[in-house]
Parts: sequence; C-alpha cells; structure tokens
Amino acid sequence: MSEAHEILEVSGLSVDYVLPQGEIRAVDDVSFTVDRGEFLGIVGESGCGKSTLLFAVAQLLASPAHLAAGTVTFKGANLVGLTDKQLSAVRWRDLSVVMQSAMNALNPVKSIGAQFKDALQAHGKPSKQEIATRSAEVMRMVGIDPVHLKSYPHQLSGGMRQRSMIAMAMLFTPDLIIMDEPTSALDVVAQRALMMQIKELQQTYGFAVIFVTHDMSLISHFSDRLMVMYAGQIDELGATRTIFDRPLHPYTQGLLEAFPSIHGPRVPLKGIPGNPPDMALVPAGCRFHPRCPHAIERCTAIAPDLYPVDGDLVRCLRRKDGTLPDDPGAHLAQDGSVTL
Amino acid sequence: MTELLRAEHLTRHFKIGGIMSRRTLHAVDDVTFSIGEREIVALAGESGSGKSTIARVLARVYKPTSGEVYFEDKPLSAIRSRRDGLRYSSLVPMVFQDPFASINPVFRVQHGILRIFKLHRPELPARQRPEEAARVFGVVGLSTDMLQRFPYELSGGQRQRVGFAQALAMRPKLILADEPVSMLDVSIRIGLLNLMAKLRDEEGVSILYITHDIASARYVADRLIVMYAGQIAESGPIEDVLTTPKHPYTQLLLSAVPDPMAPLSQVTDRGEPPKVVDPAPGCRFRWRCPLAIEECSAVTPVPAELLPGHEVACHVAQTGADVRAFAS
Repeated sequence: MSEAHEILEVSGLSVDYVLPQGEIRAVDDVSFTVDRGEFLGIVGESGCGKSTLLFAVAQLLASPAHLAAGTVTFKGANLVGLTDKQLSAVRWRDLSVVMQSAMNALNPVKSIGAQFKDALQAHGKPSKQEIATRSAEVMRMVGIDPVHLKSYPHQLSGGMRQRSMIAMAMLFTPDLIIMDEPTSALDVVAQRALMMQIKELQQTYGFAVIFVTHDMSLISHFSDRLMVMYAGQIDELGATRTIFDRPLHPYTQGLLEAFPSIHGPRVPLKGIPGNPPDMALVPAGCRFHPRCPHAIERCTAIAPDLYPVDGDLVRCLRRKDGTLPDDPGAHLAQDGSVTL
Repeated sequence: MTELLRAEHLTRHFKIGGIMSRRTLHAVDDVTFSIGEREIVALAGESGSGKSTIARVLARVYKPTSGEVYFEDKPLSAIRSRRDGLRYSSLVPMVFQDPFASINPVFRVQHGILRIFKLHRPELPARQRPEEAARVFGVVGLSTDMLQRFPYELSGGQRQRVGFAQALAMRPKLILADEPVSMLDVSIRIGLLNLMAKLRDEEGVSILYITHDIASARYVADRLIVMYAGQIAESGPIEDVLTTPKHPYTQLLLSAVPDPMAPLSQVTDRGEPPKVVDPAPGCRFRWRCPLAIEECSAVTPVPAELLPGHEVACHVAQTGADVRAFAS
C-alpha cells in the first residue's frame, strides 16, 4: 500500500503508568499502520497492554497513565500533544471509539436520541430536522428501529445497546472506528450478528476499524491483519489468515492451541503453561521465554526485536534464525549441533 | 450409570416490579434432568436462560417454586436440620465465576481450606489438617507453599484452582461450577478444564459445568443440556447433540460459535433474548424459529427422546422431520 492509503500511523508508542512503587511500562515501543478501510485486529491476554494502546491511540489516557514516547499520526497530523479542544474537532467526526461496556458508556439518564443530538451538536449547528434525519439513518444502518431513539439505555437489550453505540460512532461517518471488545458482554449468537453488522457497515461506508479482543477466533473471519500482543509488545503482526494457518511466534501458536473446537476430533489440549508476567517484573530477554516450550539460553539474555519473516513481523530469535522445531532444517542449529 | 442427582419438573419463578405488581419472571420452568456419578454435565445457554438459577436451586440458595430435586434419591425439601444442610453443601459445593471475589482477601489461602475441615470434616484430627490441605492442593496442581499466600498474590488461574481445592476439601460428590473459566485468560482456561476432567477421572467427582461456551463444554463434558428461556431445548450425549443437533436453537447456537478453521456460516438471527415475564403457552423460541408451525404458538413443547438418551423439545423435530433451521 502506498503512503496515501495510510490513515493512521503509530510510531514508537510507549505508555507508562506512574505508580507509588515506580513506573510501569504498559505499552513498549509499538509501531503499526492502518490503511483506509482496513480491519486490524489486536489480540492478547488481560494485562498485555491492548486496551492501554487503544486509549493512547485515541488520546484518551488519563493519570496515572501517560504517553512516554512516540507519535500517532492520523490523516497526516500528529495527535500527540494536541489540546482537548483541538482533539474534539477530530473526535466523533473523523475518529470514534466504541467502548467495551455499552451499559457504562451510554448515559443512563438520557435517551439514545438525546445522546446522538449531543454528539451532532458538538460539530456544527444542525437543525432539529437534520438531527432527526441523521439519527434515524444511523439507527437503521445498525438494524434498530428508529423508535428506540426515544428509549433509555436500560430499555434496550445488550446487543441493541452495543449496536446503538456503533450507530453513534457512525454519526459523522468517520474514517476510523476504534473498538475495545464491543462484543464481550454478548452471547455467541448476538456476538456473531454484531460482527457481521460491523463488517457489512465497514464494506458499505469504507471506514477503517481497529478491533481489540482477547478472543482470537472471534475475529478470524473478519480482520484483514492481526496484531498479537504480549507483555506490552507486539509479538506478531501479519495477515490474519496467514497467522491462523501458520502462526510464527510460539505464543501465537500456544494461543491457537488453547481453543477447543466444536469440529473435528476431541484432542487433549495443553494451553500455555504459567501466567502472563507482572508488568512490574518483566522477564529479561524475550518476555515470553519463561512460558515458551522452545526457549533456549539465548532467549533468556537477548531481548528480541520484531523481525520480518515470510512477510510477517515476529518477535522471536529462534524464528529469525530458522531454528524453531517446526522450521525446515531446524534440527540443524546454527552451530551445527543437532537439537530435537 | 448410577444416578446421583435428579431434578423433576423444577420450576423457579420470581416476582418482579413493585409490591402491587403481579408480574412473574419464569426463570426456570418445568425442567427435568439427572446427573450421574462420575459425569460432567454441561448446562449451556445464553444469559438469562436460567442456567445460574438452576445452580442456585441445586445449591439450596433458592427454594424451587415447584418441582423437586433428589440427591441420592432423597428429596432436598426433606432437609430440615442445620446438620443435614451442612452435610448436603459439603457433598454439593459450588465454584464461582469470579475467582477475585470468591476468596476472602484478608486471610491466607489455607484459612478457607482449614475452616472447611473444621466445619465439614470434624472426624479429621486437627493435626492431620495441614497434611490433607497439602494433598488437596496437590490434586488441583498448586504447590504446598501456595497455602501460605494471600489471594492477591495469586493469578486468576491459581485463584480458580484454590476455588476447586476448597470444593474438593469437602470430599464432594458433585461440584456446581458456574462459568468457572469465563473470567480467565484463554491460555489459562484449558488448564482448568483439564483439572475438571481429572477430578472426574481420578477423584470420582461429578460436575455440573455451567457455561455459554459450547466448545469448552465439548472439551470436558459427557452430556450437554441446552437451555432456552428457562426451559430445556435439547439434551443428550454431547457428541450426539453437537453432530446431530435436532432443536433449531441448538443449531443456531452452533452456527454462531466462532471457529477459525471452519468457513464462516451466515447467521441472520439478531440474537435478541426472549421475554420470560408471564409467558403465554407455546414454544418460547418460535419468534426466532424459521420452521415454526401453528402448533408451536399454542402448545409448549415437552422434551421427548428421539435418539437414545437424546431428548428434544421441538414440535417439528418430534414429527420426525429432518430439522435444518440453521446450517452450521
């Protein structure tokens, strides 16, 4: 893709939490781009920094979190360092955010329609008629009867609340919608319906989506590219289908093997041993090495970079060298000794 | 298989609204099922389908509105004394969804276990308690030194193992596990599911595994009960139900399970949950069902055995028709 297609460029982004016991780096040197109309999935376990990253991109960080380094270039302008006033010109209009819990994100004492009106009036002076028309329009887009503009959040089901959040995010047909686990409170059927809806809207209106989730299988059919995060860093970044078919990082492999399936034979699964690290005590070397079945001594000492391998980016020393057990020729380590 | 617990026509209603309100929420309606010895039964369904209400009735938190639960052929309504009540709760303990809220944060982890020995196993001499606690911790895969830790020092997966250790300390016959892995990280879940299978295979415990995650149910359970709007839609040996689902709702549920390795099935259903406040007779799934016939809006379907051990509450399926409401 050429530069002109890039709508968002995040470069060297780091976020620190300033706590009494010291600073904790929750997001560490993250760089990625999002193209116009692209669907980028970000997956990782709790505490891996995926939500913090998202907040940093949307410039929503609040104390004790603060941006330690990096730039967020959205449509050619760096969002970092902008004042709230400057940011509010961008928010809703060009970039909107859908939060995890619609129950908490919607104002419980205002009707849905009144909240839409607030957002619309934040950018310009639309007439009553314009507000009514646009509000009804976005409600229809997400498949809710516009009569529910008069409803209060508690009168709607969980799925409808999430869909009205998405409707609100689309009031100005932004170029980028950031979504933080918008489906995690829903049942599988409602979840699938919402995913199909998001994809359909995206194809119709051409906005880009950054979708954060802990459930890799959920976005397997919907995202174009996938970013796997572990302990505040990108572990793997590549085309979604490729990652599912041929995961390069041992952590991604472990995650994929941790999902039981409803199809195929019932096979015993192992998951990943151990627990995600405490971000105050990040392991030296590769951050995944204490849990990695393929870790060798080098992994405990050298912190790996993101290396390009087969068109993807992967943070694994052994993958870079081609010495992971599933690599061709892996039994021959670099020094010529044979490992199994 | 020897039957351990049997629920017959179990019904639990809740009054809702103000004191003048006559509206009733039918959380569980006329539900009959059994759990055998050394069996993991998965109870699946969407939120509000009555799964947790059933667990709470089985744990004697709620009294049933009507119907009866038999444990080892004795009715729960016959439990009167505190002693019998304690005995039952030690045979049928619960493991909760949130491991961060279900362990007392001000005591060391061993406190809960030792207290269980004191309350529920008075025959165990006090000096043997630490040894037994260490044994129980070993079974759930925790090291003995964890006993001295405080809950905040443990990860979510370790805390949930403590939850199972507390249940196991009572020498239970049936563990009621209400969404025990849904709050844990994906990489940790499998370990807990493997632990549940181990408890069944090595300790001979039965488990009622309440979940909305069909794939994890298939991984550990022997039998599956699918709930919809307070009633059982379908039940049977889990592989049978998953390979030949007969109820349209089960088919819908299966078609919506995300599976990266399978092609994406088209689901048109919106996933709107049903209202179960003062429901009229008839099938509660009929508004979402593409196959609904006239009978469905008049008569509430009752589960009938269509294949060995495989019961379905659907008028269309019971006519012998090949039900294909939603492709998976």
